[in-house]
Amino acid sequence: MSGEKMEIMILMKDQIPKLYNELSGEYNFFAPVKEKGYIAYRKISNPEEIELNYFNSKIPPKEILFPQMEVLFEFETDGKNVTEIKDRKDLDEKNILFGIRPCDAHSFDLLEKFFVFGDFQDEIFLKKRKNSLIIGIGCNSPKSTCFCTSLEGHPFQKDDTDVFLVDLGEKYLVEGVSDKGNNLLQQLSWLSKASKADIKKAQELAKKAEDLITTKLDLTNTSEILDSNFANEIWKEVSENCLGCGSCTFLCPTCTCFDVLDENAQYENRGRRIRIWDTCQFCLYTLHTSGHNPRDSNIERCRNRILHKFSYYPLNYDLIGCVGCGRCIQVCPVNNDLRTIINKINSIKINEEENVSA
Amino acid sequence: MGDIESENQDIGNKIKGLAKNLLKEKEVDVIIGYTKGTVPLSASPVFITREEDVDKLLWNNLCYINLANYLAPRIPTLYDDEGQKLKVGIVAKGCVGRALIHLAVEKQIEIENIKMIGISCNGIINRKRIEKEIGEREILEMSILGNNIIVKGRDFEETFPFDEYMNELCKVCKVKSPPNVDGSCVGECLENPVIENDFNDISDFESKTSEEKWAYIKDTLSSCTRCYACREVCPMCYCNLCFVDQNKPIWFGKTTDFTDIFAFHFNRSMHLAGRCVSCGACSSVCPMGIDLNLITRKLEKIVKVRYNFTSGLDKETVPPMMSFSLDDNQEFMLEED
Repeated sequence: MSGEKMEIMILMKDQIPKLYNELSGEYNFFAPVKEKGYIAYRKISNPEEIELNYFNSKIPPKEILFPQMEVLFEFETDGKNVTEIKDRKDLDEKNILFGIRPCDAHSFDLLEKFFVFGDFQDEIFLKKRKNSLIIGIGCNSPKSTCFCTSLEGHPFQKDDTDVFLVDLGEKYLVEGVSDKGNNLLQQLSWLSKASKADIKKAQELAKKAEDLITTKLDLTNTSEILDSNFANEIWKEVSENCLGCGSCTFLCPTCTCFDVLDENAQYENRGRRIRIWDTCQFCLYTLHTSGHNPRDSNIERCRNRILHKFSYYPLNYDLIGCVGCGRCIQVCPVNNDLRTIINKINSIKINEEENVSA
Repeated sequence: MGDIESENQDIGNKIKGLAKNLLKEKEVDVIIGYTKGTVPLSASPVFITREEDVDKLLWNNLCYINLANYLAPRIPTLYDDEGQKLKVGIVAKGCVGRALIHLAVEKQIEIENIKMIGISCNGIINRKRIEKEIGEREILEMSILGNNIIVKGRDFEETFPFDEYMNELCKVCKVKSPPNVDGSCVGECLENPVIENDFNDISDFESKTSEEKWAYIKDTLSSCTRCYACREVCPMCYCNLCFVDQNKPIWFGKTTDFTDIFAFHFNRSMHLAGRCVSCGACSSVCPMGIDLNLITRKLEKIVKVRYNFTSGLDKETVPPMMSFSLDDNQEFMLEED
């Protein structure tokens, strides 16, 4: 943060339409809405749509920046060759992502690590990321499957947001976190100042929320254990009842795999190049043209998901590739619980040490 | 029989007793059953190989996974270190039994090598319906008390009558225990079942006009994420390479455009005509809460009405989609239904 520290402000809940009206001209306004019984982040056109009472979305808000299906560019042909490539025009549009939970806000940073890694910078993702302003919100009541505090996160962690809200009942405490966020707050001159009592209440809520997180995973040595247990018997056990569907990865805020394909409307002399989410759980993933697949069964596929988040991410980016949102735990059709898997992995080390001391 | 709560206890005890015996007598090497899940509204499929682990097995009304699915050749657990097939015992509610028998009819498994631990299923809870009704409150505990489903959270407790909150499919189910084929079933089994089908579960859907049906299908399918949980959980979806995964050439679009989603679900459903065993696992596992078995049930009814066939009841009847007769009823070729 540069310059003077911004004051902490108050936004009344009934002022949300005002906030929307003031910003929706300049920004695409994404917010949580209730859709067919579940919460989803959608670009809204009416502030009445915003759902303020929610745990978290079914599909993580990564889909705003990295949608399940995305047109990379469109092209025209003369029937044989490509004659014109039409790039995306919407990437410079500015977005507000309202009501993002701290775990998901952190996932945006992890996604960015992936999209800038190596020689290729993913322009489409990066432009959208740069043009997005994240208004985060603290989790007053985390779920029993939440474990952000095991990943250096916190239900009230504001670091990865631009503006951070705390739900105080009738109103929100509003704090600018980044320069971008502070600039936005300056625009909103009608916000009132928070009282000391408001700030104190927010601190109490933060403490209360932290205490509600009962899932504690010890991830101190997990990456190291994984490094030396690629062929451990545990993978057979861990993958035993896995069906090989993609629900854990499609609902994961940090999964980034995608497939690129061209769709050609041959008789209309046009086409498009798209990317769609892929997952290491599918049989086509890493299938070679020879027919060989190094990840031929559920054993290798389940292992890949775990290694990617808890070994490859730490190796490549020095960060764990999981934010502790617990979505995969809730969604798995066979209840193949990530917490159980991590504890099993951690127990490998313990057993070995027991053997050594015995 | 008492209430649901005591029935569950009773079924669980029977499963444990039979499983222990099968392992002890070395009639099977592994038992596939259900164990307690780590989150409410779940039960987890489990593989038991040692007698002392039999107590992990249970029966509750969340055993929605069709365990027949695990007999597909891709499961490494079912082979020993030399790659020999293990003898398998499998906890079988009616629809698991039907799936196994139909898989045998399609020559995918040898039913002689399987021991079904037959139970009399007392119904599966429609967990998506309960989840949706509870809404943005976290369910921390679910239990059955008498004939009610009790759902508890941090600051609420709600009661749902079991009869009403069962899967619609289970309400009309006539095959609660597995049919006994070639002596493959122990415990509660059906001998030569003759059943009176009941398709009341889809009567609401059927009473809609074509436009209403189309609107409903468009609305519900549009939230599909193409995670293929419906396909992977389906015991009848055992193709080595699903039509939707074939990419040389690409037959079906892979996007989340409605036409592509629709093409996937309707082609999958068509492949299940006369094969679906109405276990409802597809609907139970869909992360987006899509009621997928509505379409397959409609097809099951069409097959029943036109060919008088119900899948998975015996090994001898040739399924209509596996046979051809010049007398086949074909008036539908011209009919709008």
